[in-house]
Amino acid sequence: MRATSRGLIAALALTPLLTGCFAQSDGGGEGTAEGTGGRLRVALAVPPVQALSPYSNDATVLSKLSVAEGLTALSKEGTAAPALARSWTQKNPTTWTFELRKATFQDGTAVTAESVVNALDHANSAATKPRVLSDVTLTAKADDADTVTLTTKAADPVLPLRLASPALAILSAKAYAEDGTVSPVGTGTGTFRITRLTGKTKATLDRYDGYWGGKAKAPGIDVTWIADGTARANALRGGDVDIAEWIPTAQAKLLAADTRHEVPSVRTDSLILNTGGGLFTDPALRAAARESVNGSALVDSVFGGYADPAQGLFGPAVPWAAEDRVPVTGRAKAATAAEVKAKTKGRTLRLASYTNRAELPEAATVLQQQLEKAGFTVKQDVREYTQMEADLLAGKYDALVFSRVTLLDTGDAVAYLASDFMSDGVYNIAGLKDPAVDKAVKAAAEEGGTQERRKKIMQAEAAILRTDAVLPLVHEQAVQGIATDVEGVLLDPRERSLVDVDTHLK
Amino acid sequence: MTALHGSAARRFPWQAALGRLVAGAALLTAVGVLPWLSGTDPALTVLRARSADQDPTPQQLDAVRAQLDLDQGPLAHLLHWLGGDAGVSWVSGDAVLPQITSALSVSLTLMLGALVVTLLVAALVCVPTLVLGSRRRLARDRAGTGAAVLASLPKFLLASVLATVCGVWWGWFPSSGWEGPQWMVLPSLALGIPSGAMIGGMLDQSLPAAFHEPWARSAHACGLPPSYLARNALRRTLPGVLPQFLPTVVALVGGAVAVEKIFNIPGLGRLALDSAIAQDLPVLQSTTLALVLLGVAAGVVVRLLRHALLGRPLRDGALPTLHRPRLVPPRSLRWIAGGCALVLLALVVAGLLRDPLHVDTAARLSSPSGAHPLGTDSLGRDLLARLGHGALRTAGVAFAVTAVSALTGLLLGMVPRASAGLTEVTATLPAVLAGLLIAGVTGPSVWGAACAVCVVGWTPYAAQTAALLEQERASGHIAAAVSLGAGRAHLLRRHLLPAVGPALLRNALLRLPTTVLVLASLGFLGLGEQPPTPEWGRLLSENQPYVELAPWTVLGPAGALVLLSVLAVTGSALGRRA
Repeated sequence: MRATSRGLIAALALTPLLTGCFAQSDGGGEGTAEGTGGRLRVALAVPPVQALSPYSNDATVLSKLSVAEGLTALSKEGTAAPALARSWTQKNPTTWTFELRKATFQDGTAVTAESVVNALDHANSAATKPRVLSDVTLTAKADDADTVTLTTKAADPVLPLRLASPALAILSAKAYAEDGTVSPVGTGTGTFRITRLTGKTKATLDRYDGYWGGKAKAPGIDVTWIADGTARANALRGGDVDIAEWIPTAQAKLLAADTRHEVPSVRTDSLILNTGGGLFTDPALRAAARESVNGSALVDSVFGGYADPAQGLFGPAVPWAAEDRVPVTGRAKAATAAEVKAKTKGRTLRLASYTNRAELPEAATVLQQQLEKAGFTVKQDVREYTQMEADLLAGKYDALVFSRVTLLDTGDAVAYLASDFMSDGVYNIAGLKDPAVDKAVKAAAEEGGTQERRKKIMQAEAAILRTDAVLPLVHEQAVQGIATDVEGVLLDPRERSLVDVDTHLK
Repeated sequence: MTALHGSAARRFPWQAALGRLVAGAALLTAVGVLPWLSGTDPALTVLRARSADQDPTPQQLDAVRAQLDLDQGPLAHLLHWLGGDAGVSWVSGDAVLPQITSALSVSLTLMLGALVVTLLVAALVCVPTLVLGSRRRLARDRAGTGAAVLASLPKFLLASVLATVCGVWWGWFPSSGWEGPQWMVLPSLALGIPSGAMIGGMLDQSLPAAFHEPWARSAHACGLPPSYLARNALRRTLPGVLPQFLPTVVALVGGAVAVEKIFNIPGLGRLALDSAIAQDLPVLQSTTLALVLLGVAAGVVVRLLRHALLGRPLRDGALPTLHRPRLVPPRSLRWIAGGCALVLLALVVAGLLRDPLHVDTAARLSSPSGAHPLGTDSLGRDLLARLGHGALRTAGVAFAVTAVSALTGLLLGMVPRASAGLTEVTATLPAVLAGLLIAGVTGPSVWGAACAVCVVGWTPYAAQTAALLEQERASGHIAAAVSLGAGRAHLLRRHLLPAVGPALLRNALLRLPTTVLVLASLGFLGLGEQPPTPEWGRLLSENQPYVELAPWTVLGPAGALVLLSVLAVTGSALGRRA
């Protein structure tokens, strides 16, 4: 008996110790599932890497949850819409003037031209420059209290689109610390104010009553980061959260039909062929691969129906792509299976894919079978993306199953085409060096008119597809899990917005 | 008692401390040079961890390099870190220490929860033997089939099932997060049940020997109550099993990544994995240090506990050795072993006749039928074929790795003074760390996974060997043999090895399924066979997302693993008779 009581005492002594070991929850402020008082509970997929700094991956969180805004925003059609800037005019190819609206930061200070200049200067001088500024040199100048003039070194027709990027969110002066870190906690202008960020697991947001666009319908948001897709789906099904983003296709069928919302995504999955070295320097072999690969076989199998068969590099999430599409002509003639066998001379096709997106390794296995039918001998290499990125850029593989966002943070398609397919592109995994492609992408980049630019982008797409350096497979659909009592969730193909002023519990 | 603890621990204090210091320092140095050794540019991995879409331009990489002082090389960083500054994370720029403390406290709590479940399950496994033995009615041997079944359940699968069934369907416990005691229940069960079965299974096998000793007979004859016998039998056998808690339970602090992911627990395992992949050196180093210190602390506690339990006889060399009595094997044992062998053989033969690689997207996730007796996976591949074709490779590699690990453990365990520190330091290391080091040296390779698992996998056996040998050396018959002029080789061959062998074998066989899973878990580093090669561990992990939608996709491989484990355990029990 003595042993038991000793154990009991130990257990009792341990209990208060243990209570300190759980993730800190709000003391009393938070209610149970029934008593959240209309607060939205949101499960996001990618945990913050840099304490929600706008210069990192975390930037999208700021726009998804309407915490911070830029001078402009992206409209549904993909054009620039007013945000903190009421209007803007282009004085000459390199000079733009933006008129600010009357707004206040969540810390009470007013949004002035000075604060905008301050924010943009910080983005410009960040140690690792945000991607959206990588191909432009931007200078901001305050003309008066509510007018900002932006000048670029070279003409930049998409500047208003650029400014909609969450990386260029305007935060109050308080956000920018001496050491170069940026904190959006309580410093944005959006409809929700971050009040607390708990490591990489949780964040608490309250409604910001001074928002220029009116009062949000939901009193606040409780964010949980759940990296595992199954766990996210479980959280929604178990009623722990109201909104769960990015439900993996394998779990989507388990959600009740009325909580499952699919939205075409700007992500295109494709098979990149390495034109710079190895097997696929031969256009006939690339053509043979193109003939043998059938992306639509992936739609109902690997993607469980949550994808669209590829039409080109840009899918249904880019609404204007279909009408401006240029047919691809003059492609190389495909080698027959016998010719493929002769040409490859027993060399194996090194097919790479990565584990970060669960569908890709499965797709690779289906493609392997399709390629083998065409006469190739295929060997897969599947790893975590960061483990193989250097090898990919060095051209150590013949083919890669790749999932790529086609509208990067500029919201403009040229940035993707330039980095992935131009001779000097930094992300040119295909090793493509094709003068016609370079010319076509350059022409699109220089075009200022929206309509003309789109036409030239689609001509560039055709030029790229002609080379068979990239074989589009499917356009992904994102599945968002939304509980039936939530209204007004934004289904955004660009994965940039989710909750706004109108989102609320019924 | 205190005096005795003191003397036992003081016997070779500085040697043991030195061993730990050397092993810890070697490990931390290895981790410290990882970013330079791995062949993957740390600037690129850090950039990628910060921003998935950032273009890896030379300017950007240079900016990262300059920011992190990467040009200074590993030595400067190591010295700075040794100077007592845990530093800031390369990726997030946040101070490392608070991250580590909060993750460590979460993981320690989880580990304690798992420990409670482990003890309960181990107790349940041992109860029949204890009850029978303490009443001296232990006539038949027990096969330990139940323990083998439970011990071979993959933890991540158990976690998935518990999260779905108890969390989502029934709503008994929250399925994700870490906010209070009720959040502990499901993860603790997922981690504790297999561990408990493993430890219980080993204890259960050594209990009959304790009941067979003369004191037990006398106590029973004197009419002492069964509880007295049971208590003392436990006290007699526990010291041999205690060291297993270190690699089995304490190692869960850093090695429960899969379960932490499924239940969204912000623990140390995920922190270690994320920092290792991003090559976030400050976080990785401090995490490793925390694990090393934990391993050493746990090792010391285990040592003290053992000495407290065994007490004076161990010090005085008057510990009678434990010998299993000759018990009649239960008749069912043959049937079970035969049945398992037959089913496995049938699976393999039937599977080998089919094509394991044929993708048929139309027959995706179809339930078991005449055409596909075990159903198909998400790509419409026949699961029976994949099981059959994967059997030889899986079992072969797992047996080889286990054999190498056990042999290494045996050899190192025979020189406990030199290896104790190394064992404690390595025991808590996740295999993924070893995998990263190996992947850095060899690049992606088929044998990399096996090497990585061997590098960390020997610790349970070394700990066990050291403990058993210590007890054995303290026994009377060794003293007798020595006084009769027996040489070292003779002692080893005739006295020490026979005492350690069976227990070691049992341990190795119970750990076989874990080895299969750990091997497969290193696939994302490019170690091991690449897909689509069928391999049981991969079958389980690649079908895990479909547990609920198509349970047969994991039932087949999990069942095969259980069969293999039961066959190994019962087979060895039968072999013991022969």
